[in-house]
Amino acid sequence: PAPAEAGRAPGPPDGGWGWVVVFGAFVSIGFAYAFPKGLAIFFKEIQAFFGTSYSEIAWVSSIMLATTYGAGPISSILVNRYGSRPVVMFGGLLCGVGMISAAFCTSILQLYICVGFITGFGLALNLQPSVIIIGKYFLKRRPIANGLAMAGSPVMLCTLAPLNQFLFDNFGWRGSFLILGAILLNCCVAGALFRPIGAGTALVKTQVAEEGKDALKGKITEDGKEMSSALNVPMENKTEEEEGKDCFEKINQYLDFSLFKHRGFLIYLIGNVLMFLGFFAPIVFLAPYAKHTGIDEYSAALLLSILAVVDMVARPTTGIVANSKWVRPRIQYFFSFAIAFNGACHLLCPLASSYTGLVVYSSFFGLAFGMVCAMLFETLMDLVGAARFTSAVGLVTIAECCTILLGPPIGGILIDTFGDYKYMFIKCGAVMVLAGTFLFIMNYYNYCMLAKEEKERKTKEEDPKSVRTENEGRKNWNKDSTQDGPELEPLREEGEGVKKEMNGT
Amino acid sequence: GPDLAAEEFKPASKENSYEVSEYEIVLPGVSGTALQKNISVGSPTKVELTCKLDEKANLKNPQVTWKKGSETISHTSKTQNSWTIQLTISESSQLGSYSCILKGEVEVSATFHLQVPKIEGKERPIITYEGDLAVMVCKTEDAPVTWTWYMTSGTELVAINTSSHTNKFRIKRQSAKVNRLEILKLTKEDIGVYWCEAAFTLGSSKRRFELKVLSIMAPLKPFVAVVAEVIILVTTIALYEVYSKKYSKKKGGKGEREFDQIDQI
Repeated sequence: PAPAEAGRAPGPPDGGWGWVVVFGAFVSIGFAYAFPKGLAIFFKEIQAFFGTSYSEIAWVSSIMLATTYGAGPISSILVNRYGSRPVVMFGGLLCGVGMISAAFCTSILQLYICVGFITGFGLALNLQPSVIIIGKYFLKRRPIANGLAMAGSPVMLCTLAPLNQFLFDNFGWRGSFLILGAILLNCCVAGALFRPIGAGTALVKTQVAEEGKDALKGKITEDGKEMSSALNVPMENKTEEEEGKDCFEKINQYLDFSLFKHRGFLIYLIGNVLMFLGFFAPIVFLAPYAKHTGIDEYSAALLLSILAVVDMVARPTTGIVANSKWVRPRIQYFFSFAIAFNGACHLLCPLASSYTGLVVYSSFFGLAFGMVCAMLFETLMDLVGAARFTSAVGLVTIAECCTILLGPPIGGILIDTFGDYKYMFIKCGAVMVLAGTFLFIMNYYNYCMLAKEEKERKTKEEDPKSVRTENEGRKNWNKDSTQDGPELEPLREEGEGVKKEMNGT
Repeated sequence: GPDLAAEEFKPASKENSYEVSEYEIVLPGVSGTALQKNISVGSPTKVELTCKLDEKANLKNPQVTWKKGSETISHTSKTQNSWTIQLTISESSQLGSYSCILKGEVEVSATFHLQVPKIEGKERPIITYEGDLAVMVCKTEDAPVTWTWYMTSGTELVAINTSSHTNKFRIKRQSAKVNRLEILKLTKEDIGVYWCEAAFTLGSSKRRFELKVLSIMAPLKPFVAVVAEVIILVTTIALYEVYSKKYSKKKGGKGEREFDQIDQI
């Protein structure tokens, strides 16, 4: 047999069917983020219909958002077990069922369940797998793929907002929910496009059994570390199982809690949880603030449209910029800069008193918002690697869930207490600048530590092969998969280390 | 321009069981857009309307007249640059537009419109379904004396009597300022125009609602169309995938050639 071909650990395709997957993710992510926002059009009518207060209706939105983010770990576990495709298709079905049953609701409590929980859970099953599968199909062009897929959110919002208005004017809220249920079933179409990838895992496992580990390690060094360590981890788990089952390892197969020991993951988690405190509140209050300064309703709505259009363009553009050879190795810095830039916009907003000033603010806000969103998942993938990303994204979203829900109400309390919107903007700006600075400093530290560890590993590898026992070799691989800084190795054009390993030691 | 009605002050004092409400317009002293203010008056009250000249204005010592239509009203001057009239509104004929006119090098004026409170409600047609419930909500700024709901039969307005139609109509008082009509078990015959009327001591105002009743078939058509589209697309994608797998298997070698090995790092 020709081991070079059969045992070759394949890297992600970075193209081909991958672009179709990006389109599917575009649709899926778009629905997940834009749909809750688009529902706001119906709330006034539903409130009048059931005779409830506005806050009782707002709970529908909150429950939906909380479920979408809170069900992240469940989504991750399901993807780890079944892969992205069935999860997304089931999610789409769930969303459809949720909205269709919402059309027949006779009380606000039933709406909480149908729209809030069921549809929210369905959207959670859409969001995570879509982001995960991009990491499986792309490596070199991943920032572009992420940027394009995340652009789905503003595009869907711009489509859903007038569509919802049209449906509402022609079919009332019940008919609209029924039709929206059918529209959400399109998530199943998006899911159908998510062809499973990573069939190479099966290939690698059988080859390992036949050929022995050393030869395989050699090949893996040639082909690129990131994907191989990703494939190696399940292989490692299997061999360790053969030796004696470890309970912790078994849980880790479903949801990787060892991530909490991962330095990069912790940095990302803390920085992002802080950032989300000030992320969404300005969007929620932009239109009310504009009306407060005396601008009429249509111009205030136009501000949000400007934001959405700039956002739409900013996301793929940021993806392209982040993919360039100057930025990609230092993408964490770029991300921290984007967050701090966002914060700076909010801090400067109170200075904008005229409509022109607010238009300028909206444009910059749209740009900053798009930059952060485009890189939101890319940076996490960069830190933990595609294999552990599945679990990482689940754990991150449930942590973010709390601050996302707290952000707008805290802003609202600030506005009500001081009677002035500027304190809310200052609070959001300060929180984000703080988060950006924290991430910048901590990532600098992380990059230094990774460079140090890389040096240590290289000096170990330069030893003759006979010194390397199987155990030590395995330890090295485990270290790789925990820190995964080496992911950047194939991409860095500097550093002779890469070239050495490419030629095989 | 900004809505000046937002600048209303709270009543300053109570006299003769009528509360006095003070309203003010500040004139910039430049002839341009005529300034207006809408004041809702539902029950008898005392009002003080003041026109104040901005300190930065070029107009000095103008000649001031207060008018309602063609009738002049005597005014007082509380400060050097403000002029006030005091009115006791106890009849509907006393509602209307009161203007202050300042004549000097230029002529500027401002108008206060005293009106019966308007009713807020849904402007677009209300869309409901057969067998469902229709809800119409009317809201006012000040509490009226009575609320009445009408339905149109032909060209006439017929008051809705809930005692004679207990299974069909329900009128709920959510608060003094919010009133609600519920129409149950809708049929196509309920399509039409409905009115809600708020009666104040000084007059009444009305609001029009249009009710449309659709059959369940109406949204079902686009629903079925979208579901069909989803099924067609999912089937197409599945068939394409099966076909392309078969095709690559036939070509030889492992079937899992899904990734282009040229693209490897």
